Amino acid sequence: MATASNPRSFLARHEFLVRRLHSLTGLIPIGAFMTMHLAANASVLESPGTFQRTVYQIHSLGSLLPIVEWVFIFLPILFHGLLGLVIIRGGTMNTGAYPYASNVRYVLQRITGLIALVFIVSHVLHMHGWIHAEGWLEHVVRPLGGAQFRPYNAASTLGTAMQGTLIPLLYAMGLLACVFHLANGLWTMGITWGVWISPAAQRRATWGCAAVGSVLALLALAALRGAVTVDTHHAAEVENAMYEARVTAHELLPNEHKRARPQADHGRSARGAKVEGCW
Amino acid sequence: MTPESQPATLRQFPHLRTPDHLATPTRHTTPMADTEHGRIAREYFEVRILRQDGPGQASYWERHRVKYEPDMNVISALQKIAAHPVTIDGQPVTPVAWECNCLEEVCGACTMVINGHVRQACTALVDRLLEQRASEIELRPMTKFPVLRDLVVDRGRLFHALKKTISWVAVDGYYDRGPGPPQSQEEQEQLYPLSHCMTCGCCVEACPQYAYAEVTRLEGETDEAFAARQAATYDRLFVGAHAISQVVLFNSHPTGRHMSGVRLDALIAEGGIQACGNAQNCVAVCPQKIPLTTSIARAGRASTAHTLHKWFER
Ligand code: HEM
Ligand code: SF4
Ligand code: SF4
Ligand code: FES
Repeated sequence: MATASNPRSFLARHEFLVRRLHSLTGLIPIGAFMTMHLAANASVLESPGTFQRTVYQIHSLGSLLPIVEWVFIFLPILFHGLLGLVIIRGGTMNTGAYPYASNVRYVLQRITGLIALVFIVSHVLHMHGWIHAEGWLEHVVRPLGGAQFRPYNAASTLGTAMQGTLIPLLYAMGLLACVFHLANGLWTMGITWGVWISPAAQRRATWGCAAVGSVLALLALAALRGAVTVDTHHAAEVENAMYEARVTAHELLPNEHKRARPQADHGRSARGAKVEGCW
Repeated sequence: MTPESQPATLRQFPHLRTPDHLATPTRHTTPMADTEHGRIAREYFEVRILRQDGPGQASYWERHRVKYEPDMNVISALQKIAAHPVTIDGQPVTPVAWECNCLEEVCGACTMVINGHVRQACTALVDRLLEQRASEIELRPMTKFPVLRDLVVDRGRLFHALKKTISWVAVDGYYDRGPGPPQSQEEQEQLYPLSHCMTCGCCVEACPQYAYAEVTRLEGETDEAFAARQAATYDRLFVGAHAISQVVLFNSHPTGRHMSGVRLDALIAEGGIQACGNAQNCVAVCPQKIPLTTSIARAGRASTAHTLHKWFER
């Protein structure tokens, strides 16, 4: 019943579809990506070489990779996260008067969403830099200590970026927030989409989602532990050998922008290391 | 309850037992007699009420002292205040306004926020409330609806939601169409609880996604113009769990089902089921124990199916 003086916004007119898309993106692609991402990163616990192979697999997409990243990861996360902010503003938390467990989870879903938003934005900046334009990387991201991950020196640059106590602590918080958010979001999706309907089915779903959450939490902490405990010198040697071998076998096009430089200095201070050229 | 303390009918028909939350406390649990359990014998108790003289006016707290009697409920306390409308400081005031009707928790008229929790005043027992908080009983009007006066609110938005979602079975017509199709026992058992909804508003009062809304009349606005503007505003806001559950009830009814598409269209319009944030306070506070989360899940599934159906059948 909109009048000319009071037009309804796009969001209001398509509220149902937009909210269903928000719910869906939480699982596909974001939740699915996060699960794969955690599993891939946990492979660093096995050995730097294993992790490097995983990363080579991902980077075998070549110039398609940025498109895949943006279409299937960054844009859905930005859509879900920014719309999440709008949704959070539309509710009024009332756990003071109604301290039920499900109401507390409603609040936690929103708090962990906010933590996830801050964490993901800074995490992508820290490792990846968001946009691979040299001016942006050189003048904005690297002075902030970002864009530290180099795909062809995967474990060593990861390990270097994760040194200290503050960064691993912040990562642990961010990871656990994301995991809770996904596990609890899975449960609420079951209501949103009508998957678990009876109270008995909902109770079973609670166990199921708690199990999924616990496994993901372990995976996340394993990946974090793996990253923190990398022997960066040894890792860099393995990675460089793998790089040379692949280039010699014509399995890989040489690409210095995906490598850490200067290599000799590697592991002591990638943060201070001057990286030239575009990536 | 010991058998002797039960009324004769209950001794004969034990299955007629009153549900626990409605049960009258037995004498020995009242604060009067129970000094050995740390409760103080009392002659009076205090009631703190959030009052408001009229729509749009400022609200203010007022304290009353009420003579204690065993087995009172909040309505009987309010009756005593009305009979002797004097505040605790001896100020004569206008009687506090409230609504009630059935006095047995089936009409929903007496719904208010008692000690911070939304519920029916007629089944809020003073003895129990004083066990919770001995110093006073706090009464305030529901916070999601416009206050008309004191504890009386305009719950019209709840009924508007039922109209928006066509929550009835349309049987009007010129022809006798004969009896409707029968309902299976299983369906009856599933739907009967949903029919207990008394549109009391507890579910939406506790819902974090249901925001307070009040439309105030403009200078010189006619009744019709005001009603239309109010309806247009309510249309855009969250319908609430009760309406979602009523859609499930009438969409499952063998005759009501004929209009299921129209109801689902209303449920996916602005302010529809998508505004629910799955906090599940509704189901926790519903005095009729209606399985609202089950209804929301059912309606959620049906809404998505309906939308897909419309995309591919048009
Ligand atoms: C980037 C920051 C994020 C914010 C601000 C955010 C916010 C939200 C909010 C407010 C909801 C509740 C929606 C509702 O009740 O209707 C929600 C649901 C959900 N989110 Fe997120 N989220 C973020 C990131 C993520 C991430 C990283 C994941 C996956 C790991 C995720 C997965 C989900 C899921 C599965 C739901 C459930 C949807 C439903 O109930 O239908 N979100 N998110
Ligand atoms: S669903 Fe329950 S709480 Fe909501 S209006 Fe109906 S009876 Fe009241
Ligand atoms: S489940 Fe939905 S309708 Fe019920 S209280 Fe939560 S947000 Fe409100
Ligand atoms: S008077 Fe009807 S529910 Fe209380």
